[in-house]
Amino acid sequence: MTKLEAVIQPSKFEDVKDALLEIGVEGMTVTEVRGHGRQKGHTEFYRGREYTVDVLPKVKIEAVLPDRLVDPAIQAITNAARTGKIGDGKIFLSRIDDAIRIRNDERGETAL
Amino acid sequence: MSAVKRRYERIYLNLVYRTMSSPTADYTLRTYYRQEFDRLRGEFEANGSGESSVRDRTAVVDKLALQLWEQHVVARAHSGFALAALGGFGRRALFPYSDVDLLFLAENEALRASMKEPVRSICQEMWDIGLRVSPTTRTLDDCARFDQDNVEFTISMLDCRFLAGDEALFKRLSEKVLPQLVARESDVLVQRLAEVTRTRHLRFANTTFHLEPNLKDGPGGLRDSHVSQWLGVIAALDPGRRQPESLSLQHGSEGKELLDAIEFLSATRCYLHYRAKRDENVISWEAQDELAAKGIATKSGTISSAEWMRLYFRHARTNYRNTNQLLEQVPGSRSSLYRSFQRWRSRVSNEEFSVVDGRVYLQQAVGARDPFVVLRLFTFMARHGVALSLETERRIKNASRALTDAMPQDARMWEHLRELLALPHAAEALRLMHSLNLLTHAVPEFEAIDSLVLRDLYHRYTVDEHSFLAIEVLHRLKNKDVEWLQPFGELLSELERPELLFLALLLHDTGKGLAGTDHVHNSLQLAAAAVERMGLPAGDEQTVCFLIAAHLEMSSTLRRRDIYDPETVRELASKVGTTERLKMLTLLTLADIKSVNPEALTPWKAENLWRLYAGTANYFDRSVDEERFHAEVCTEQVERVAALLPKRRSQLLKFLDGLPQRYLMSHSPDQVILHFEMASQLRKEPVQLGVRRVSGQHELTVVTTDRAGLFSTLAGILYGWGMDITKASAFSNRAGVIVDSFYFKDRFHTLELNPPERERFKKSVIEILMHEAPLDPLLESRLKADTKPAKLKVETKLRYDDESSPSSTLLEVITQDRPGLLYTISSTLANENCSIEVALIDTEGAVAHDVFYLTRDRMKLAREQQRAIEWALTTELSDSLPNNW
Repeated sequence: MTKLEAVIQPSKFEDVKDALLEIGVEGMTVTEVRGHGRQKGHTEFYRGREYTVDVLPKVKIEAVLPDRLVDPAIQAITNAARTGKIGDGKIFLSRIDDAIRIRNDERGETAL
Repeated sequence: MSAVKRRYERIYLNLVYRTMSSPTADYTLRTYYRQEFDRLRGEFEANGSGESSVRDRTAVVDKLALQLWEQHVVARAHSGFALAALGGFGRRALFPYSDVDLLFLAENEALRASMKEPVRSICQEMWDIGLRVSPTTRTLDDCARFDQDNVEFTISMLDCRFLAGDEALFKRLSEKVLPQLVARESDVLVQRLAEVTRTRHLRFANTTFHLEPNLKDGPGGLRDSHVSQWLGVIAALDPGRRQPESLSLQHGSEGKELLDAIEFLSATRCYLHYRAKRDENVISWEAQDELAAKGIATKSGTISSAEWMRLYFRHARTNYRNTNQLLEQVPGSRSSLYRSFQRWRSRVSNEEFSVVDGRVYLQQAVGARDPFVVLRLFTFMARHGVALSLETERRIKNASRALTDAMPQDARMWEHLRELLALPHAAEALRLMHSLNLLTHAVPEFEAIDSLVLRDLYHRYTVDEHSFLAIEVLHRLKNKDVEWLQPFGELLSELERPELLFLALLLHDTGKGLAGTDHVHNSLQLAAAAVERMGLPAGDEQTVCFLIAAHLEMSSTLRRRDIYDPETVRELASKVGTTERLKMLTLLTLADIKSVNPEALTPWKAENLWRLYAGTANYFDRSVDEERFHAEVCTEQVERVAALLPKRRSQLLKFLDGLPQRYLMSHSPDQVILHFEMASQLRKEPVQLGVRRVSGQHELTVVTTDRAGLFSTLAGILYGWGMDITKASAFSNRAGVIVDSFYFKDRFHTLELNPPERERFKKSVIEILMHEAPLDPLLESRLKADTKPAKLKVETKLRYDDESSPSSTLLEVITQDRPGLLYTISSTLANENCSIEVALIDTEGAVAHDVFYLTRDRMKLAREQQRAIEWALTTELSDSLPNNW
């Protein structure tokens, strides 16, 4: 099993969610986050007030996947979230030892 | 099993209880309880009566308790020990799966200790029977003691009922100890009860209108009726306490209304318990469907789920109002400051309404039959936040037919509604109008969403309540109690016509009550009919309809588009058109999201909404001369204007040619025609003036041919006359005709108090513009007079932007507002030989925010020119501050 964490543009969330559902990813955790990578921030003005936008709004999607779904999920996310500009986001993968469904103690991939 | 067979079995079991003492008794009792439980369930399914169901279960559990008492206690103690029922058991209102609260009352500590084992046995056997027992053992002294940290126990004793044992001991509790305790501690008891109830209501956002309501603990739920009863009992036990005024103590139709509500809730709760086989109190969507299909608690059998929920909300609302009326009479732990405030509020009484103890009464009872008096009453409540007295509510209900028949729905309604909507307690007043069935007669379009449940996982409230909450959300922004919402509060205070936004919020979801999937389209149809009937001026009508048509636009942009992409901002700006509309749409979006459910609007979402607003507002300021009108490309707005003058279309297009699109966006077709007519007269009179009153201010419009220093001269004249300019704009067309508009406050009421001064003012403007009179004497006299220091200091900021406009340099000036500021800035720019192509002048409180599109010799400003202007402006703005500023 692999844990996938994708940090994407908020405007791409709906498309990414639909793409993941289409390939069979049934569960995910979604968090509203702020951050920056190479995109960094910029300065904005409104009515003379200066706003330093050093962390930008992003959406973080977390999902633990059976290994067979990892590559399709990466493909689905990159296809749906890519604009080609700086700030499209990143995907992080990490190994997961086990999963337990609290309701009935199922373990491993069956618990996903 | 037949009824006869069941009857015989009950008789048999009764005989068994009287004689049984064997170890098998618990088995027999369990069988008895199960059979009785099934019988009660069958009877409930047959007659649907909640009241008799809970009463009969109480009787069954009474018998079981008595039997166990005889079995375990009688042989050991004949006096000094008693059993009492508490809570719902004590009230004889034991719902199918409710806990059984028991009080084992001992005369002293020794008896309590010696009876420990029998008490344990009774409780154990009750658990084995299938009853969830919640026991407590206390001595009489324990009961007489008031525990600040466990007021709940004292409150629970208010429902105590004798079951078995030493009746004289129980009477000492119920007739002596309890009355003395309540009389001594009634203030604390009542305050604590009110606190607990208010906290409980707050958990449910103080509204009955949840899509899946909790009928026990939610506002208007059964717990509220218990609170009413307890307050009544406390008042009865405390001779010094005035009986509270409430529906529950009324006779006739109002008392019946409350009893009907309690029976409805009781029957529903019984059904939920039987359905879930546990103490379930949430009316889920599935349960709603079943309750409606089975016609539970209805008098007309099967009805639709929507109709059933309307019944539920009507009953819950009655119960909630009754409890709230009682709670409002509880001073609680309010400070003396609050009590002083309550007394102060009575001073807001006027010739029509009097306020006593925070409740409003009609001075003339007959006023309850006059819809205009009643509308003024709601406006009064919306202004002062006072509650309606029960007496006045009763009068209004009794006059319901006369009121609804005579309720105006035309322009007279808008006259009242526009005032009410913009007042701080508008949402409470609207809710009350709605609960008294008056709002749907005032605005019939609202009927479509009356108590309407729309099932999705996102919304938590009915559609009507969502609309009221949205209005409340905006008014609460003024409290500035949430830091991340403060910029939106400032935005609200800047609106010129907030009542239009509030009307749009009231109507924005009415279309959800109509068939079809496009609720925005349906709402727009309903709103268009409403605003036309209420006779809103054309421009206002368009604004309300625009807001409703676009009410999902910014939410959708936030979800689907990159808000930092200039194309996203440009598209939104082109749909919205003006800064004023953008502000309203931003606030509508905020209120719409926040009133969906308490967690829907996160700081993250609010921040994104603000950035989208700020980006679009900046775009408006920086793109004015980027998008100018060209006669050969007619937009929809131009066609609307041209339709008003079909015979002079070509002259009109010539006048509009070269004017920024923003000019067209920010002026109504009537205003554009007026400016065109003024421009047509320039050959006869080279300076055309218009002065009118707009929203408590004055507007001066000048149409003339462009010339050097024109804008600063106009600013100087207004300053010289003592006027305070709050907004201004300056536009010019390709032919060099300028349209300058100034909004100003008449600081000394010169024009208002002296009508002849109006003509002298206009004459003065024309003479100075025509160089027939000098400006300087006017300015000098004013400069001597204006020396008042400012309360707030604002640092001056100047910022140039060479990117946004293809032909001008933008200069943004943020500085301390002061008399003559616009003249100081514009004359400095004129002295530096700058031409003001466009000016956008705005004032927010003490802060002036001005944007100038500048050229010199028809070119953008060079760097050294910018530096020279910056130095000159900084010096002038510093020098022009009066002493101590």
